[in-house]
Amino acid sequence: MSYKFDFEFLAERWPDFVAGAWLTIQLTVASIALGFLLGTVCALARVYGGPAVRRVVGVYVEAIRNTPLLIQIFIVYFGLSSLGLKLSAEVSAIVALTVNMGAYTTEIMRAGIQSIQRTQLEAADCLGLTKLQTILHVVLLPAMERVYPALSSQFVLLMLASSITSQISAEELTATANLVQSDTYRSFEVYVIVAVVYLALSALYRFALWAIGLVLFERRRKLGTPL
Amino acid sequence: MKLAAWLRPILGAAFAVLAVVAPVAFGATAQADTLDDIKKAGKIRIAIDLAIPPFGMTDEKMQPAGSDVDLARLLAKDLGVQLEIVTTTGPTRIPFLQTNKADLVVSTLSITPDRAKVIDFTIPYADHPSVIAGLKTATIKQMSDLDGKKVAVVRGTTQDADLTRQAKGAQLIRYEDDATMALAFASGQVDIIATARSLLPAISKKNPARTLEPKITMQTNYLAIGMRKDEPKLLAWVNDWVRTNLQNGKLIAIYKTHHGIDIDPAMLLKAGG
Repeated sequence: MSYKFDFEFLAERWPDFVAGAWLTIQLTVASIALGFLLGTVCALARVYGGPAVRRVVGVYVEAIRNTPLLIQIFIVYFGLSSLGLKLSAEVSAIVALTVNMGAYTTEIMRAGIQSIQRTQLEAADCLGLTKLQTILHVVLLPAMERVYPALSSQFVLLMLASSITSQISAEELTATANLVQSDTYRSFEVYVIVAVVYLALSALYRFALWAIGLVLFERRRKLGTPL
Repeated sequence: MKLAAWLRPILGAAFAVLAVVAPVAFGATAQADTLDDIKKAGKIRIAIDLAIPPFGMTDEKMQPAGSDVDLARLLAKDLGVQLEIVTTTGPTRIPFLQTNKADLVVSTLSITPDRAKVIDFTIPYADHPSVIAGLKTATIKQMSDLDGKKVAVVRGTTQDADLTRQAKGAQLIRYEDDATMALAFASGQVDIIATARSLLPAISKKNPARTLEPKITMQTNYLAIGMRKDEPKLLAWVNDWVRTNLQNGKLIAIYKTHHGIDIDPAMLLKAGG
């Protein structure tokens, strides 16, 4: 092989990679949390809402799931800016990723909510639970437990997809890679390093999600079996 | 680590195959001569960024156009081979050479000492001043006027390197290519950009309400054709070709057509030594 690997630049540039990975974590944790909330509300609206609400949510979900994420990011960053609403690259990234996450979460949570059997709701009614208590304890939590693997995958996918926010100058991990690569010309090495960092981040997210699952779902903690 | 006995020959064979295949797969060209390869293939691969008008762009028929494209066409014609344009972007211009995806780069590539460590340059074919530009109403006279302001730049360009060194107080917003940076200016995300003077008319045209005006000239670079190192035959041929076509005026005419500016061949030949 004529290619000589040279990782010398790491001694000087590793703080850049740490800063990039930290912004990736901030961007994605914020948009996962906000997107999950948005998606859960939309899923409830899609299952229990009136026909008009259901249609609005349906249009939102289909519009987002059938357009590229990059276009959504450009619309938020360049489009809103042209209309006079100037959001920074980081805020634009969080807004676009949240809206995207919300649409996918809506569909995943809708499946979970619809999997809760009518008898469960009837039992809640007999026990005198209020509507809010029923939704929180009888519908949402077990629904989430059922679709938790799918949700986890979607969260990790979002983290990986956040790499394209480098296109609107958010200085996250991929942007850092492009910067270091353009300074040092060690493109092969830089992208290998970044791939390994993404892999480590994915493992970290999956571990965190598994731990959160243990805290949230009593059954899983006590019996170790999925619902 | 102890391997199962049956696994060892399989692994051994796998590594043997890798050892044979890897050099081919990674394009080992240490012995090869690119000029001979180009002539043998009857085709030259030239990397050009088609998102930086008027150097490289697509015309209304979606065909490549621009001064770098015309230069590449003339070069291929004079070499007697077909031209294959490899579309590239600012940050990927040099990696395309290193990974043997292109034979030459003709893509507003300025000569810099850092770049000269990894690739070879021909003598310059044009000069290329970089400027800091802003709205007509802005007062920017020196680098310190940029303190605390957002300045857009394309990642990995000479402007990026210069600004990082000279404008420490400025907040650099880095975009991946000129088109994205131009859009960021036109849509109002940034009010100051650092770029080549040649790009200002095209960027201003996107939004006439926001016309750019050059404020500070950062430095004048020289554009040259880039190629992999250790290609003496190719370098000599292209250097001769550039010299000839600067002297006979063909390259000057190409520049004039697309930029409306006369470049001075004597200055370029002097800069090229």
